Amino acid sequence: MNKGKYLGLVMVLAMTLTLIVGVSAQEMKVIHTGVGMVGGDPESIDPNLNEASQGNNIIRTMYIGLTTQDEETGDVVPGLATDWSQSEDGLTWTFNMIHDIPWAKYNADTDTVEQVMDEAGNPRYVTANDVVYSWKRVLDPATASTYAYVPAEFVVNGTAVMAGEASVDDLAVKAVDDYTFEITAPEAVGFATNIYGLWMVNPVPQWAIEECGDSWTEADCMPSYGPFVLKDWSHDESITVVKNPFWPGTDYVPQAQADEVVFHFLDPQTQFAEYQADTLDAINPPIEELDRIKSDAVLSQELSIGTNPCTYYIGINAEKPVVGESVHLRRALSYAVDRQSIVDNVTKGGQIPAQWFSRPGLNAAPTLETNPDLGAKFDVAKAQEELTLALDELGVASAADIPTITLAYNDSSGHAAIMQAIQQMWSTELGITVQLDPRDPSTYFSSLSEDAPQLYRSGWCQDYPDADNFLRGVFRSDSQQNDPNFVNADFDALVDEARLATDTEERRALYAQAEEILSVDQVGMIPIYWYTAVQMTKPYIERTYSVVNREAYENWNITQ
Amino acid sequence: MAAFVIRRILWMFLVLLALSIIVFTLMHAVPGGPFDQEKPLPEKTKEILAEKYNLNASVPEQYLSYMSDILVPRITYGKQPPSAAFDYLVTIPLPAMFGDQATIRWVNFGPTYKSRSRSVNDIFRDNLPISFQLGAFAVAIALAIGIPLGIISALKRNTVYDYMGMGVAVLGVSVPVIITAPVLQYIFAVQFKVVPVSGWGAPNQMILPAFALGFASSALIARLTRASLLQVLFEDYIRTARAKGLAERRVVIMHALKNSMIPVVTVLGPLFAALVTGTFVVETIFGIPGLGKFFVTSVTGRDYPVIMGTLLLYAFILILANLMVDVMYAWLDPRIRFD
Repeated sequence: MNKGKYLGLVMVLAMTLTLIVGVSAQEMKVIHTGVGMVGGDPESIDPNLNEASQGNNIIRTMYIGLTTQDEETGDVVPGLATDWSQSEDGLTWTFNMIHDIPWAKYNADTDTVEQVMDEAGNPRYVTANDVVYSWKRVLDPATASTYAYVPAEFVVNGTAVMAGEASVDDLAVKAVDDYTFEITAPEAVGFATNIYGLWMVNPVPQWAIEECGDSWTEADCMPSYGPFVLKDWSHDESITVVKNPFWPGTDYVPQAQADEVVFHFLDPQTQFAEYQADTLDAINPPIEELDRIKSDAVLSQELSIGTNPCTYYIGINAEKPVVGESVHLRRALSYAVDRQSIVDNVTKGGQIPAQWFSRPGLNAAPTLETNPDLGAKFDVAKAQEELTLALDELGVASAADIPTITLAYNDSSGHAAIMQAIQQMWSTELGITVQLDPRDPSTYFSSLSEDAPQLYRSGWCQDYPDADNFLRGVFRSDSQQNDPNFVNADFDALVDEARLATDTEERRALYAQAEEILSVDQVGMIPIYWYTAVQMTKPYIERTYSVVNREAYENWNITQ
Repeated sequence: MAAFVIRRILWMFLVLLALSIIVFTLMHAVPGGPFDQEKPLPEKTKEILAEKYNLNASVPEQYLSYMSDILVPRITYGKQPPSAAFDYLVTIPLPAMFGDQATIRWVNFGPTYKSRSRSVNDIFRDNLPISFQLGAFAVAIALAIGIPLGIISALKRNTVYDYMGMGVAVLGVSVPVIITAPVLQYIFAVQFKVVPVSGWGAPNQMILPAFALGFASSALIARLTRASLLQVLFEDYIRTARAKGLAERRVVIMHALKNSMIPVVTVLGPLFAALVTGTFVVETIFGIPGLGKFFVTSVTGRDYPVIMGTLLLYAFILILANLMVDVMYAWLDPRIRFD
């Protein structure tokens, strides 16, 4: 009898325990992140309008393109489209989209994510019409999207529509049926699939934008369809996205593992303090703290140095006196820069000494494995050899007689230290005194477009992950970004050929030749380093590290 | 007194008008524009943006259109496009007899170029109250520390209390908040974890930033209180009060302190205006979504409507605070008359 009593008690206890464990297992998994968020409140999270990687990281949780990039390899993989085909002439692309992905929205009253219904009470699905609308909206001059120039080149009439010379209805985009999207490009460019997946042409909800106008990206209006849905935007503080149960999950973009992700907009030092107080799970640590982090037994284990598709370089204006007159002088200057010393002693963020312009890791860009000897490397002997030739070329007796050369830079975020280090190297290795010209950061880049000085500090980050964006985008003779006035017919021919070539290895070889012209033969620029993404993550976070500067939070999880 | 206040308020509008003209002219004269950035935008895109924000008009025309958006009430009919450019602080729906959805709309400080979904009015609505709370809390802390410290130092002058009190004051004046704030944050939030590192909303998130801000100002108040009180304590009427046999506490608090507050109240006006409109450093360090950063980022980003909005707001609060100070004078020292 007693035994029975105890048995009952034990059973009740066991059941209570199960209940408790059950409840705690259901506890919300909320990831607090500051990665890529140090810029303050995002300027926009409207896919058509966003132009910053910060907004891009947030948009990526809610919106998926027809194609998307595998965050760990950078490869173009299916996103909202299951597959696609290219016409015989290579100009027209047809995308078959996944069926029945509903638009979803967070309901604050019920604290749940709900499907969005149309007037008739039927669920709204993401269709090819939403993609068509997105293309029209982003290129419409009335939208004034600052990034529209990127997709504009990849659709017939795109640039004409942007310029106001054609109507948006003239764009060669078409919804063949609800789930088939067709687009025609002016050129047969193999990497166009990459462009068609970019955030600025992600499908967007016409009905929501028409209802809420500019403020459709606020939490009370914004629907989405990807792994997460917007829950809250506390301006200048944080954005919270919540798991979208209606995203079916694909092989490449699975359903989210965490329940919520909170993006915090904090200063780097404050981020680091929050991280140490265990309130942020992942951050970009402040560069000033890297020495301490690396020497700390615990913190160093949580540090990760990954790639960031940007290149830091010194531009050379080919039309300016002295530097424009002597290719040997330009070579001497390039060879005399000890890039390893700069990344070890000045920037300290594990950056990679750059030998050429296009950041390795971009599609078809040369890499240190495929082309280890390509480009410019620190070499004092070569530098001095070139200097001797330069003196002849310039008709001066010694390095001290070379007329003054100016190196301009925007006086912000630690550029001064790097420029001073380079100035010192040129003085020590070559005996050339270069004058530094720090300029107001807010007008620096417009001053470059108007009249670039002899030497100037610059950087380039990808608009789209292809070497085309770097080499043709910046240094082709007619490029609008070509501040240094670099003009070389062979270079132009190579980047044009590489743009239309279809085989990646063939393209890589062509870009390698172009890089050789740009960084060694003609020295249109002096590559300094390739950027890295320095992050810290708490050990209880299971995650992937993105090489494309946008994290895939659906793959993040809390394991503790 | 009433006439004085009314006159001062009328003057305030003149001052604000003059200030708006000067600032508007200066900010457009500074080189660079809101859409200059690391990657230059295509010319066409720049043209579209300039068109959208009316930047192609002459500066006087832009000024007039800007001021009329703020000052002139308008009546709209029908449903308005939901756009940050049509965001008015005052909207009064009129009865149906005036027309379809007739609404009086008034005070539009314009868009911000840096955020498509927000307007300057949104920034005032969301960020100003936060800065105001923090600033008011900081002023209260400054007074709560500064005045007692000043009184003790004055009463116990040249004793160890005086030296300690003034030592603290010197520390507060000379160590900038950019040092005290991260140090406080590291000790109390990271090491001891007694308060959150950053953020705003919960009372315990307000303690560190308000203290960091208030402490720096308390030093100033303590020194002023001490100097002024010392002077007053040697006045004849204090001697009279003591001679009447009043308790020392009553002498100090009722007679000396009130009269010694004039210099303190004088600095309190500008101090209050500066603190409640936001402080860049403290708000950045503690991740507080206040107004302070807009004073800085709007200028570096050439975000014209935000520059105008924040400066006009600051000037408005400063003038009001100084008006309050003048009214306080009359109460503190009945000999002061404004007629």
